[in-house]
Amino acid sequence: MRRNIMRDAMNKFMKKFIRFKNIIFLFAMLFILSAVLSGCGKGDGAGDERSEYVYVSEYVEMDMECDYISGLTSSGDDVFLSVSEWDEETGFNTNYLYRYNMNENKAVRLSLEMPENSSISGMAPGTDGSLIMIVNCNTFEMDEEGNVADSKSTIEIWNVSMEDGTLLGSEDVTGLVAGKSDYAYIQHFCVDGQGNLYLSDGDNCIHIIDKEFKKVCDIDAGDWINNMASSKEGDVYMTSYGSEGLQLQKVDLTGKKIGDAVAGIPGGYGNQSYYTGVSSSLLHSNSDGVSRVDVGTGTVEKLFDWLDVDINSDYVNYVGELSDGRLWAITRNYEISGSATSELVFFTRKPSSEVPAKEEILYGTMWIGSDVKRNIIDFNKKNQTYRIKVKEYGNDDYQTGLAQFNADLTTGNCPDIIGLDSLDYSLYANKGVFEDLYPYMEKSGMDRKDFLGNVLEAYEVNGKLYGIIPYFQISTCMAKTSLVGERSGWTLTEMLDFVDEHEAENVFDYGSRSTIFYYCIYNNIDEFINWETGECSFDGEGFIRTLEFAAQFPEEYDYSGERDEGISSKLRSEKILLMQSSISSVQEFQMMNGLFGEKISFVGYPNNEKQGNLIQPAGGSMALSAKSKNKDGAWEFMQTMLSKEYQDSLVSDHGGWGFPVRRESLEKQFEQDMKAEYSEDESGKKVEQPKTTWGWDDFEMEIYAATPEEVEAVMELITSANKIGGNVDEQLTNIITEEAEPFFKGQKSAADVAQIIQNRIQIYVNENR
Amino acid sequence: MHFHMNRKQRKKKAGSSPRTRRGKLVSAGYLLPSAIGVLLFFVLPFMIVIYYSVVDNPISGQFVFLDNFIMVFNNSAFKQAAVNTLTFSAVSVPLAVVLSLFLAMMLESKMPFKSQFRTFFLSPMMVPIASVVLIWQVLFHYNGMMNEIIGLFGADKVDWLNSSYAQVVIVVLFLWKNLGYNMILFMAALSSIPKDIIEVAVLESAKSYQIFWHIKLRYMSSTILFVTIMSLINSFKVFREIYLLKGEYPYPTMYMLQHFMNNTFGRLDYQKMSAAAIMMAVVMVIIIGILFLTENHFGKDVEG
Amino acid sequence: MKPGSDKNSGSQGAALELWHKQVLRKKKIKNARTLVRICLATMAAACFAVLFLMPIVLTITNSFMSASEISANYGQVFATTDSGGKMYISEKVNLKFIPDMVSFGQYITVLLKSPEYLLKFWNSVILVVPIVVFQLLVAAGAAFGFTRYRGRVKEMIFFIYIILMLMPYQVTLVPNYLVSQWLHVLDTNWAIWLPGIFSPFAVYLLTKYMRRIPVSMMEAAQIDGAGEWQIFRKICMPLCKGAMCSIAILIFIDYWNMVEQPLILLSDAEKHPLSVFLSKINAGEIGLAFAVATIYMVPPILVFLYGEDYLVEGITYQGGIKG
Repeated sequence: MRRNIMRDAMNKFMKKFIRFKNIIFLFAMLFILSAVLSGCGKGDGAGDERSEYVYVSEYVEMDMECDYISGLTSSGDDVFLSVSEWDEETGFNTNYLYRYNMNENKAVRLSLEMPENSSISGMAPGTDGSLIMIVNCNTFEMDEEGNVADSKSTIEIWNVSMEDGTLLGSEDVTGLVAGKSDYAYIQHFCVDGQGNLYLSDGDNCIHIIDKEFKKVCDIDAGDWINNMASSKEGDVYMTSYGSEGLQLQKVDLTGKKIGDAVAGIPGGYGNQSYYTGVSSSLLHSNSDGVSRVDVGTGTVEKLFDWLDVDINSDYVNYVGELSDGRLWAITRNYEISGSATSELVFFTRKPSSEVPAKEEILYGTMWIGSDVKRNIIDFNKKNQTYRIKVKEYGNDDYQTGLAQFNADLTTGNCPDIIGLDSLDYSLYANKGVFEDLYPYMEKSGMDRKDFLGNVLEAYEVNGKLYGIIPYFQISTCMAKTSLVGERSGWTLTEMLDFVDEHEAENVFDYGSRSTIFYYCIYNNIDEFINWETGECSFDGEGFIRTLEFAAQFPEEYDYSGERDEGISSKLRSEKILLMQSSISSVQEFQMMNGLFGEKISFVGYPNNEKQGNLIQPAGGSMALSAKSKNKDGAWEFMQTMLSKEYQDSLVSDHGGWGFPVRRESLEKQFEQDMKAEYSEDESGKKVEQPKTTWGWDDFEMEIYAATPEEVEAVMELITSANKIGGNVDEQLTNIITEEAEPFFKGQKSAADVAQIIQNRIQIYVNENR
Repeated sequence: MHFHMNRKQRKKKAGSSPRTRRGKLVSAGYLLPSAIGVLLFFVLPFMIVIYYSVVDNPISGQFVFLDNFIMVFNNSAFKQAAVNTLTFSAVSVPLAVVLSLFLAMMLESKMPFKSQFRTFFLSPMMVPIASVVLIWQVLFHYNGMMNEIIGLFGADKVDWLNSSYAQVVIVVLFLWKNLGYNMILFMAALSSIPKDIIEVAVLESAKSYQIFWHIKLRYMSSTILFVTIMSLINSFKVFREIYLLKGEYPYPTMYMLQHFMNNTFGRLDYQKMSAAAIMMAVVMVIIIGILFLTENHFGKDVEG
Repeated sequence: MKPGSDKNSGSQGAALELWHKQVLRKKKIKNARTLVRICLATMAAACFAVLFLMPIVLTITNSFMSASEISANYGQVFATTDSGGKMYISEKVNLKFIPDMVSFGQYITVLLKSPEYLLKFWNSVILVVPIVVFQLLVAAGAAFGFTRYRGRVKEMIFFIYIILMLMPYQVTLVPNYLVSQWLHVLDTNWAIWLPGIFSPFAVYLLTKYMRRIPVSMMEAAQIDGAGEWQIFRKICMPLCKGAMCSIAILIFIDYWNMVEQPLILLSDAEKHPLSVFLSKINAGEIGLAFAVATIYMVPPILVFLYGEDYLVEGITYQGGIKG
């Protein structure tokens, strides 16, 4: 070996060459390093920068009343809508067909008359320039008493003029589309490029009929057909749910089968639809946004996120594309008060330089609630300076999302506003994640006395307000006053003694072990942990007694059995003693009193202070990040939720979904609740009429105006609550659930499992002190 | 021994020639890519860890100097974890070294299917974690097979994973996973001890334990250090199995420093995690330093 | 300093021959005792082997059970509560080696029906192979750097390498997240590759091997006019080939089993490797887990069988020319 090298080395030429190689090697190493370092930069460039083009939305009030759109199809820039309208005169719903010119925003009601008891199952533009409709006609034969003796259902295909809606021809195809079941019903309808008609029925069968109404074939899809859509190329696709969520498959007419799932399309679950595209095969819309799908290449081009164009995806009904490249959507917007309006929205692609840039504010949360979503969209529509962007962390998996959120918090990517739902609030509050909101309230001219003190204090640490709750419910537990006495709380021992004294079938309706755990332990876990001294008392009498108590209950409540008695009747006859629920309105309070049939006490969850009612945010709660670079902008959004307008908008005449935190608004709600409604009876006398009807299980009651006493009792309940509910760390519940089981299975004693639980939780407590 | 030899070598070449200087530069160049990478992905992160250890929390970042170290040092969970980790390493690492050496010696002796056995012993390295967790659960759970077996001998049921036996279980798990690889290292070292020296010893009527003690062990001192360090690394990795067996907060006897770090990380207490990590690093520097010194000492003997 | 054993043997050749004969005579007497010892050792080894092999055998045989049989068997071991907590195993569970009925159902589902597993498998390959290749490359250079011209500074750096290598991943994971973010590689494979490629682990191992190459060998080459590259290429690399292979096996197995890094550094679950899936198996997935696990074991076993000789050779060398 040595000689070998010597020979090589002696060669002068080689020597030079080798030195050269030496340099090459070094360069190669450096190249790897630099490639490695620079190459990565490309990875996420697109996400950071503002993309070159953006879609800008334009909202248009629709030129027609459309309470319920039963069908919609588009042909070029005309959209055909079948709308069912309530006819005051006849007292029936009547179907009308409209042609809606998108370019001019003009609706024309077409002359097509729909026979009685008929409905439109599907519409699509035919290849011959007419509109093809699938009409389901029902004829009923009445017997002498006026009852339905026999009904017949036929399915007809109508050719309708797109111009004026005259019926050009019709064909009864009931026989051609007869499925497995007797009752023919068409779910979805499409027309392909050759003019063949595809009708899918409720038995997952696609019936294909040609232009001359001759049967081509039947294709059994196997899976439940979620929807069908025809592509720009004239192919028909169906969607169904596979292992990866929604999948898109071509209906293969030549092979008379359903093709393989198209690769590369979004998939997933949740609400999503495909529509015929103009510049691509299909348009895809889901809860995130709208994409163009090119089936041939399997490419998906995301056009926009719904939130970026200020649309609440929950409200989107239809999406389409116009010949000039604009997109449109028809939305149905529901207000908190319950009313709804339809809106037409156009989306135009513009260079981002032409669009005035707004300062972006990031709203980060595990899951976004519908109320917050609505508020963000409203804010974005109105505000000229700021725009809220949403980042949902918990989309895939809670633990992963949480880790990401934590990482973002520490790396300065922190969201400006943090949605507190399903986050451990106190953990973050103690680390200075949140900004004190009191100074901001002052700056906006809000007096903290205008808001319920106890609700503000629930998110207060050392006199600093770290979160806001726009409106809330009270999570509580109720019992007959005749049983528990006048009280607004109890200790665990008192509660257990009470249950021991009163022999009942169950403590709660559907009471199971986990119900007991949640009631006795999880909702007041701090009773067992002394954070000051670091001592835990899971091996103490209270916990062991709870274990023994819980052992009397079934592990899982057996819901399969026949339910012979409702909750109200059980409570009244004292077969069950307690009921856990949240109270979100005076009306709900009235109903609960009725449910028990006598005076009730709100004992809440057991704890040593005997203050066991919990505040539960009803429409989300949020905090301002201390690291935010745009706190004023973030606050501008947050304050809207404490504003008089918003708080007053929560006041509802049917009780509401929660109590507004603003005192004045809450009082307005109370006034509303106490206002009696009258009507005149036959003799013309003014009689109080029920405001609404509330029901729970076997119980139903008409709600009249609340008495001042009732309102006072509700106010008392509201002010008694001083803690936020539902914040127990899953680590603890997991340990308890796992280790308590051998006791329930009779394999270990209660004291033994309590000791193990104590040991494991002690570690948790020590670590976090 | 390396240091020793090196010193001699350097003396010889005192007053280094331009050629040597260039060589030094070039050899440093070979080190460069790795050094830059390590700087970026290991040293820089460690600096960040040091930063975290002296601030009150990662979000507000107020300088608190040594408060975290004092707090963590006084934290009873940390103490528990440190004691557990030390005990575990102190028990399992020597055991892993001794047992794998024993296995290696066993396979060294004339025996059939040597290479097959060698492969078998190495196989635990490849088993996916799901299978490992399944088997360990089934074996050591309260209603598991182990209790059934000891039940046959009339013993009472033991809650292996929820008692002080838990340490035993993880030591066994650790040994099972790591013996094979250590054994291979030892086998290689054993086979490379010059045969003549042993034969001379045999002829001089040395007892086999003497041969083992004075010759084999001496010759393998470097391998023993190597195996010890590898075992130490792997002893930290046993956390993953414990974690999958019992989650974030196991029975206190199984609660390791990695649990402490993992959990404080999850709860955004980076300052605690970092302080603990730095203390651990200091202890490790000391332990490894001692190991190196010991090896040097033995190494010289062999060379002498 | 002990010279290489090959040189040593020549000087004592004559005496050895005599001793050899005596040894042989002694051995004959001991033969019977040795036989018993071999038998005992074999039996002990066999016992160990059974214990060590059990998991692999179990995994493979169980992969031929139907998903329902698996669930019935081990369902409760992997059962979780709604909040992801563990469930207590309240009934006896036995390891079952032989399927009631051999079924390929698991494989059919994994290989044909649900492409996500193969996708994850591919992710594993994509993540691990570059790490192994480039870590070795970078480490070879670094080890050479550490071997040549050793000085106080280099020894210090090497010691730092060892300490960094011993750091548990929890410590550097968050800072790594920060660094990845700073380099704009978060959520890309680079976030896994980069720390992997520059891991000090292979540097440590390879340096250990390379330093055992006698300095005299390199010095001789140097005197003969060989440059650093030539020494690296013609002396160090060939002599460390076995070591490189054995290190490659180690790195491969280590990264093939990684769980925590992808979880933190890759938020997109679609990029996660199969090992992440196998570490999060729950009751719902246990029915397929064994087939997935078996497929998952194929690359390590192949790598292992292919490199096993190198593994021993690589390590054998270490003692062979011990410096």
